[in-house]
Amino acid sequence: MSQLSEHVLKETTVYLGPASGKFLERQTQSHLNGLQFDKLEKQHLDELVKWVGISAGLLIGKDKAEELVKKIQGL
Amino acid sequence: MIVSRINRGSEYPTPGQGRLIQLVSARHSLQTKLTASFIILILLISGLTFFYTYGATKAALKESTQDELIQVAGIMATQINGDNVILLQPGEENTTRFIGIRDHLAAMRANSNEITNAYIMKDSGNGIIFVVDDIYGTDSNAARIGESYTTGENSTIAEAMKNPVASKDFYTDKWGTFMSGYAPVRNSAGETVAVLGVDMTADKVMAKQDFIGYTIYLIMGLSALIAGLIIFYFSRTMIRDIRKLNDTAEKISMGDMSAMVNVQRNDEIGELANSFSRMVASLKIMMSDDDNKP
Repeated sequence: MSQLSEHVLKETTVYLGPASGKFLERQTQSHLNGLQFDKLEKQHLDELVKWVGISAGLLIGKDKAEELVKKIQGL
Repeated sequence: MIVSRINRGSEYPTPGQGRLIQLVSARHSLQTKLTASFIILILLISGLTFFYTYGATKAALKESTQDELIQVAGIMATQINGDNVILLQPGEENTTRFIGIRDHLAAMRANSNEITNAYIMKDSGNGIIFVVDDIYGTDSNAARIGESYTTGENSTIAEAMKNPVASKDFYTDKWGTFMSGYAPVRNSAGETVAVLGVDMTADKVMAKQDFIGYTIYLIMGLSALIAGLIIFYFSRTMIRDIRKLNDTAEKISMGDMSAMVNVQRNDEIGELANSFSRMVASLKIMMSDDDNKP
């Protein structure tokens, strides 16, 4: 797993719990052309953040999803 | 997809349909218990403080009243010529000597708002007798020269032949209930020939005590009221957020996966809400994952 993937997973787990890995894998597979989450690179972040914002918003609400997005953007 | 699964919340019973968790009655609510407990605690502490403070204040008030009486009696006694007092005999109430002393006593007494009576007594050998009563001639209850005085105060009056003293407590005689101060009246040779007494009615001292008591009651009542309102307010916000968490849990338990935790706090309830939100999010992700399996 890339260092960036580990950091994104760590931040996401705070908000989405132990299923964060599955969540992120699904986002990269569905919206980043089948990319495996553990191969995540800096250039993928903008697109990932966009979809994390949308999908996490449905799970934990917009406010918390925005907090998560800001944390991932800060990585 | 997560999105499609979450939006299917409408397929499940909506909140209110087959509600599993009943609303807690006001009697059993945490808010009621917290508010009632704190109010009882405040009243208990205030009550104990009141009894201690009131008792101590009452004792201090009594002591200061006794000091005041001793001081007034002492000052007035130095203004009386013992040589004239000792010459007064029963039946001499209309003499210039008697009237002069009586008026002097009355004038000194009139200077103090607290003192209601002033008089001179002496030890006749057979007990304490009146010599001059400052209300003689204006009040039918006034004592005449030689009228004996017998109450529990006699020992205090006898003690005043040596030093100024005050009543140990309130006493009652035929004129009312008083606290008195006594001081020796001396002749030109410096010998004690009589005792000057001043009275303060119980009503005046009791009025002071009552004022202090009512003030403490008022402060206690206001404190309990304000504390109760503050506790009620804080417990209400706390219980409101617990109820929100409870509602979300109930919706999810009934299959409404669109439910979200909407509690923003920085305290332990906030931590509980965050943990709960994390758990719910994971549950939703896992459930949607199961849905996508063939």
